[in-house]
Amino acid sequence: MSNKKQQVSRRQFLNYTLTGVGGFMAAGMLAPMVRFAVDPVLKPQKAGDFIATGTEVSSITNTPTRVDFSYEQVDAWYKSTVSKTAWVYKDEKGDIVALSPICKHLGCIVEWKKEGEHANQYYCPCHGGLYSKNGDNVPGTPPLAPLDQYKTNVKDGVLYLGEIVPNQEVK
Amino acid sequence: MKWSYNDMEMYVQAKEYVDTFLVPFVPFSFSRNDEDTKRLALHAELMDIFVNEIEKQYKGRIVLAPSYSYLLDGDYNEEIPKLNGYVEHAKDNGFKHILFLTFDKKWKKRDSKLHGNLIWVSAGQTHDLQSEEAQNMIRTQIDQVMELITTYWQE
Repeated sequence: MSNKKQQVSRRQFLNYTLTGVGGFMAAGMLAPMVRFAVDPVLKPQKAGDFIATGTEVSSITNTPTRVDFSYEQVDAWYKSTVSKTAWVYKDEKGDIVALSPICKHLGCIVEWKKEGEHANQYYCPCHGGLYSKNGDNVPGTPPLAPLDQYKTNVKDGVLYLGEIVPNQEVK
Repeated sequence: MKWSYNDMEMYVQAKEYVDTFLVPFVPFSFSRNDEDTKRLALHAELMDIFVNEIEKQYKGRIVLAPSYSYLLDGDYNEEIPKLNGYVEHAKDNGFKHILFLTFDKKWKKRDSKLHGNLIWVSAGQTHDLQSEEAQNMIRTQIDQVMELITTYWQE
């Protein structure tokens, strides 16, 4: 009898195998569903990403300087390297300000002029739009809003730039 | 602005500010030697870089036309009426400056027959568009073309 007890009966054996196989099948079906359900949580947050510009914070002065940086962007159809530009300076409090060079009129690229007719202003070559140092649009020129700015971050003395937000320097 | 839905949406609302129509020339041919075939294709890539950069910088004033392609060995005199047709069409629709951008020397002789402004740029001898030397050279050339475009605007 005791000998028999240790044996697995046909019924038990079938029960175990069916539960096992059934369990695997259920897991096989559920696992992708769970993965889909939690997928948005696992995605790295793109919007909050900061990109290293390679510019040392110590080299930033109170004169706007052009900073170029680039990163990989994956679109629906292809992967591309996006190059971006910012005009970077330190304000009176020593905080770093990084302005987007994209004109708020029709999207041309503005440039900080050190000298000449539009000295110490950002000038848009397309329709003559002008902005003061903090990005405020000069009345009487085509743009109707101040230049946008990048979120900034400093890590190990290097400037990192993040997403573009509306201008907060113009009070 | 590019010839795309989003950019045209912007264009239709700001037509009075957009007065420049830029047409890149992209010739092709398979009848030359292999080196020339490759170089011609490289010029097409280079043209793409040029016009994209110019468009990015002057987005609000320029409409970038779809590239004009033609056979390098074809009869250029047949292209001229077609191109002048483009010019008339663009002028009738509010564009003041119609610019043709090309690396093809053969257009220089026919410059006066075109009703638009021909900008000819030397493509140089670059093979590798990624090398730093080539990139600096391309950058300088693009800046020169952009400067030239602003002089048309000041007229």
